[in-house]
Amino acid sequence: MSEQTYQSISDAICHITLHRRFGPYWRAALLIAAALTLLLACGVVWLLHKGVGIWGLNVPVAWAFAIANYVWWIGIGMGGTFISGALYLARKDWRNSINRYAEAMTVFAVSVSGIFPVLHLGRPWFFYWLFPYPDVMNVWPQWRSSLEWDFFAILAYLTVSILYWYVGMLPDLATLRDRAPTLGKARFYGLLALGWRGAATQWQRFETVSLLLAGLAVPLVFSVHSMVALDFSEAVLPGWHSTLFPPFFVAGALFSGFAMVLVLGIPMRRALGLQQYITARHLENLAKVLLAAGLVVDYSYASEIFTAYYGMDPYEVAVTTHRMLGPHAWIFWGTIFCNVLSIQLLWSARLRRNHAVLFAVALLVLIGMWLERFMLIVTTLYQDFTPSSWGMFYPTFWDLAFLAGSLGLFFLLFLLFVRLLPVVSMFELRKLVPRASGEPP
Amino acid sequence: MSPLMPSLPFDLEAARAHLAAARGPVFWRSLEELADNAGFVHWLRQQQPQLAQALSLDRRGFLQFMAASLALAGLSACGHPPQDQIVPYVQAPEGQIDGLPRFFATTLMREGYARGVLVENRMGRPTKIEGNPLHPASLGATDIFAQAAVLQLWDPDRSQTLMNRGVTSTWDAFAAAVVQATERHARDGGARLRILTGAITSPTLSAQLGAVLEKFPGATWHVHEPLGNANAHAGARLALGVPLATRLRLDRAKTILSLDADFLSDPAAGVRYARDYAATRAPESNQGTPSRLYVVESTPSLTGGMADHRLALEAARIERFARLLARELGINLEVSGAEDAQHQRWLNAVLTELKANRGASLIVVGASQPAWVHALGHLLNDALGNVGTTIEYTDPVERNAAQAGTLSELVGAMQAGRVDTLWILDPNPVYDAPASLRFDEGLTHVPHVIHLGLYRDETGMRAEWHLPMAHQLESWSDARAYDGTASIAQPLIAPLYDGRSAAEVLAMVLGQTPQGRVLVRKQWQDQLPDESSWNAALQQGLIPNTSLPPRTAMVSTAFLTQIKPPPPAAAALELLFRADPTIGDGSWANNGWLQELPKPMTQLTWDNAALVSPALAAQHQLNNGDVIELRLAERVVQAPVWIMPGQAARSVTLHLGYGRRQAGRIGDGRGVDAYRLRTPANPWVESGLQIRRTGARAELASTQHHFNLEGRDLLRVGTWEEYRSNPHFATATDPYPGTPPSLYANRPPGEYAWGMSIDLNACIGCKACTIACQSENNIPVVGKDQVQRGREMHWIRVDRYYEGDAANPRAYSQPVPCMMCEHAPCEVVCPVEATVHDAEGLNLQVYNRCVGTRFCSNNCPYKVRRFNFLQYADDTTDTLKAQRNPEVSVRRRGVMEKCTYCIQRIQTAHIEADKQDRRIRDGEVLTACQAACPTQAIRFGDLSDAGSAVAQAKASKRDYVMLGELNTRPRTSYLARLRNPNPLLGEDPT
Repeated sequence: MSEQTYQSISDAICHITLHRRFGPYWRAALLIAAALTLLLACGVVWLLHKGVGIWGLNVPVAWAFAIANYVWWIGIGMGGTFISGALYLARKDWRNSINRYAEAMTVFAVSVSGIFPVLHLGRPWFFYWLFPYPDVMNVWPQWRSSLEWDFFAILAYLTVSILYWYVGMLPDLATLRDRAPTLGKARFYGLLALGWRGAATQWQRFETVSLLLAGLAVPLVFSVHSMVALDFSEAVLPGWHSTLFPPFFVAGALFSGFAMVLVLGIPMRRALGLQQYITARHLENLAKVLLAAGLVVDYSYASEIFTAYYGMDPYEVAVTTHRMLGPHAWIFWGTIFCNVLSIQLLWSARLRRNHAVLFAVALLVLIGMWLERFMLIVTTLYQDFTPSSWGMFYPTFWDLAFLAGSLGLFFLLFLLFVRLLPVVSMFELRKLVPRASGEPP
Repeated sequence: MSPLMPSLPFDLEAARAHLAAARGPVFWRSLEELADNAGFVHWLRQQQPQLAQALSLDRRGFLQFMAASLALAGLSACGHPPQDQIVPYVQAPEGQIDGLPRFFATTLMREGYARGVLVENRMGRPTKIEGNPLHPASLGATDIFAQAAVLQLWDPDRSQTLMNRGVTSTWDAFAAAVVQATERHARDGGARLRILTGAITSPTLSAQLGAVLEKFPGATWHVHEPLGNANAHAGARLALGVPLATRLRLDRAKTILSLDADFLSDPAAGVRYARDYAATRAPESNQGTPSRLYVVESTPSLTGGMADHRLALEAARIERFARLLARELGINLEVSGAEDAQHQRWLNAVLTELKANRGASLIVVGASQPAWVHALGHLLNDALGNVGTTIEYTDPVERNAAQAGTLSELVGAMQAGRVDTLWILDPNPVYDAPASLRFDEGLTHVPHVIHLGLYRDETGMRAEWHLPMAHQLESWSDARAYDGTASIAQPLIAPLYDGRSAAEVLAMVLGQTPQGRVLVRKQWQDQLPDESSWNAALQQGLIPNTSLPPRTAMVSTAFLTQIKPPPPAAAALELLFRADPTIGDGSWANNGWLQELPKPMTQLTWDNAALVSPALAAQHQLNNGDVIELRLAERVVQAPVWIMPGQAARSVTLHLGYGRRQAGRIGDGRGVDAYRLRTPANPWVESGLQIRRTGARAELASTQHHFNLEGRDLLRVGTWEEYRSNPHFATATDPYPGTPPSLYANRPPGEYAWGMSIDLNACIGCKACTIACQSENNIPVVGKDQVQRGREMHWIRVDRYYEGDAANPRAYSQPVPCMMCEHAPCEVVCPVEATVHDAEGLNLQVYNRCVGTRFCSNNCPYKVRRFNFLQYADDTTDTLKAQRNPEVSVRRRGVMEKCTYCIQRIQTAHIEADKQDRRIRDGEVLTACQAACPTQAIRFGDLSDAGSAVAQAKASKRDYVMLGELNTRPRTSYLARLRNPNPLLGEDPT
């Protein structure tokens, strides 16, 4: 970073957005993501036409893929908010080069996750009944239900994430506007920049807003994941009815969020030549947080299993045993492999600094976290209190299509983000320059 | 204003003048009209001639016009009341009150036998069937077939027109053909005329048939009843000399031994027998000793499931068991083979008890046993002094089948070309004749085949004339019940498709007017001479004093000499044929309710399967769904396997009734046709079966996959000994006795506190409740693939659990409706208040408010909630709409539903009570499941009234709630089951 100047940073980042030719790999990736998004769109149309029965849901397993996808995606979203918000508040400046794309990841992940709770409804077109609006029947939502609170938590989280991301991008959008080679691009970025001129009063307000939004976003991260957890804890079901869930879900969200930051960051910095900005140190820091979060998650697993057997509630014991030994045992052991065993590699500094290994571990963590969500939902539901009603869950084509389609949509948005918006926060990087080069701030 | 309309100057003055000139209020539709502008009228006439005409229509003319339109619309409306007079029962006999159902007593027949029912009729549409409390075969309860009859009536696949050689025809054309046929037969005295029917108990039909046979003395009547109990008839003839009917008096029996007899599912009397049996086992009302039931059977049945001791033996070994029994009772019979110590112990225990309970014991022999075992049963019952107490003989109820030819004789005549005209009145022999008879081949030698049937089925397709038969609910008829009680069947609706009954068709042969009512009325002219007695018989649903009196019979021992020596014990497999538990002989195959009703012992839907014992499955390495080849000599079919706990080791069971080819959209092509393996000589069991794995797999749809209670105390069972020493045994092991504390305040008590009690000691697992609920609450049929996905919609399910060794486990059944928890887990988690509690303790589901999060279902510990994952309710088929209960919403996709305690019935009672300014009386509200239950295991009512039946049931010491430790505080509770094992045999189930 020592040789960087304000000029060089702006040049390099603006070049990516304004001048760089995005080659066949980007196009191919975009095509695949677009195709998967189209699959999702077809799925949505079919779902609205036929009903949620196109998925493999049944009684007793009335929630499965869609809710697993939802929890997974919203957990991934957490990584970005944590990096940009919590590290901002803690004045960890090293975050400045990764927060932009991490925030973008948050916005896209939360948007994608938000699709599922709505489509998962039997009658999605009435989702707004969860909203406390004054209707003629004087019917209010049912405030004891965690789903109700979850609805607000997602809405609030999505709103703040988008605001935080967009507001934080304004100075950079103005920079792009000023450097735009064509009138069209200038208009595009000019419109997005909302008249940012870089005046001192604007900067002052900008900093205040950023601080406020960061202050808002960080508690929201905890509230939203605690609420997601309460969607399960509130139930009487063995395997769900646990006070451990809220912290467990927050840790899990952090875990998967950081994994996704790594999975996106490692190829992106290579493809866009951002090694100078997203450095090996960044990745190593992320790896350490990943390991730390992972250990908390692992502790939760151990604690859950211990509590079940120590508490000797026959239903808890049965669910825990079925998880480990039942027909879905491979999911449990897959989770253990991905979320417990694989991250132990990160204790080694050598492996942690090997980006291929780091990428692989992060990818495994993402897979493991999805499996964990699935396990948590399905293996609780499929064998609960009454053995006569025990069932199985078998996914249909559309279950898989919605999972793949959600990935497609997420990557489509992210690829467009990489192409159209500054992937690294220029103005925040510039803040690092004076200190590095000894210039006055 | 329409853009087409020319801009006309509005003449204010003209309008004022117009209004001033008018008297009374003047209504105007536009300012132009008000101004009475000639230009407007002209424009209107040009643009909208019909409106201009309406303008000139005055009020009187308009009303006349409207009245005429409405009258015309009314003429074309569906369903018209029958032209003949029918008499309502129970409610509002004077006349119809719009919106209120009326109940009519009538008769439904099964295998020819009458079961009295009350049919709910809503504005001319039969919608629901209840039992007739006065009828001896019902006592107010029904079986699944009676419940499903109403769906059969409205089945859109029923035959709708006459077909003559595949071309639509008319009754007039058929009448002409009948004239030709009678002329042909008049020439040779009917020598080439054959009539094929099922078992006949109907006096009218019997008289008609008698008249036809008298008119054509050469004609022959043949009987084909695929589920007929020919062995029992033959056995009665062997032992008693005459084919007397046997009637069980289970209420008097202390020790019952069943030799493969499933009397609790008897087509004619099962409902009654179940009630009688349960009465001997009710600990609260029966302070004496309970009865003890021993069952020896090859394939698990409802009766076997209720047994205190059950022995799983192959049919051939049951025969041997009968010989041993007879020998021990002093009858000299040859018995081959080595003694089995365990069976001997069992036999000794039974013998001791049979002898100790002389006159109060009972031996019942099942259809699978050969005639001589039936005869032996009569002999042993006689020796034990049971005749006249626990078993009664009466004159035959059926028209004497001994006068009739068999199906085999008919096929012989057909093949010999000795049949010119064959009348098939209702049976479907092309499908359900034993395939070895080659009935369909014989049919090619018959020039004229006339088929009367509810469906244009396999036989109807082959007939020269197919005639649509009027449904039992559409036609006049009569029939006798198992005890001879005669009752009249009156139509609840005019025939939907111009069908006629069998008696009406025979009337055509006799040259009479085919008017069912006239025929039936004439038949009963002697017993019911005046209109008041006739009306009383219709209202009550039975004809008084027609029950056949018990008669004495001499049991002869002559047949003992004819008993062949026992065959050497063969290791071969045997194949058992049984009526399908839900679709019977196959005639119910197009009934969605019955197809989707889980079969009581297997919980399979939509298919039959080869039931094999766990031992046989292990030997051949078979899993559920593996397709095997079943071979009996040269006859072969392939069928999927279902491993049946409690199946005799070397017996394979294949249910009849599946593999239909022309049943309709629901029934076609489902399952395996067992008739293809059947022979007329051995209709129920055939040995020498060979099985072979094919390697193929078939998907079977079962609603329950796990039959083990996993040590959970959801279903609590004790013995009578335990109950006597500790009446509270059922709750002794509750982890949290009493009601645990709750953070939520108790709700203030409402006007009523509805609750339900289910007596597991009475429940036989017949599932009449499930189908009654389906009928009452418009519950959709979802189809096999949806059942396979675990999406069946039944609001009350009957769980089946097994305990002990899979070779011969104890079987338990447990009906599970909504528990109506006072602290309902479902209510807390619904974000939109779609499931809420009412003041009377009902957990309500508000369909209109439901958005379908399904959290309530996840959070229901009892898993009684059902979700419309797809659009299940059929909203396109008109006749199915007519069946629906208008008081229950039809749920659309995306909403949750569940048992409501039949809230519509509660509300009806509320309205009635409010009108009369009184409280709802105990017993005034019967839930559909409760009403149908043959053993009255389900009680429902107001818990706040300590005198109510349900409060008294819950006061029983056997009362317990399921999963009480979750503090859900269910309003539905259970009474623990009591077994009554013989101390000599101990806990050993075998």
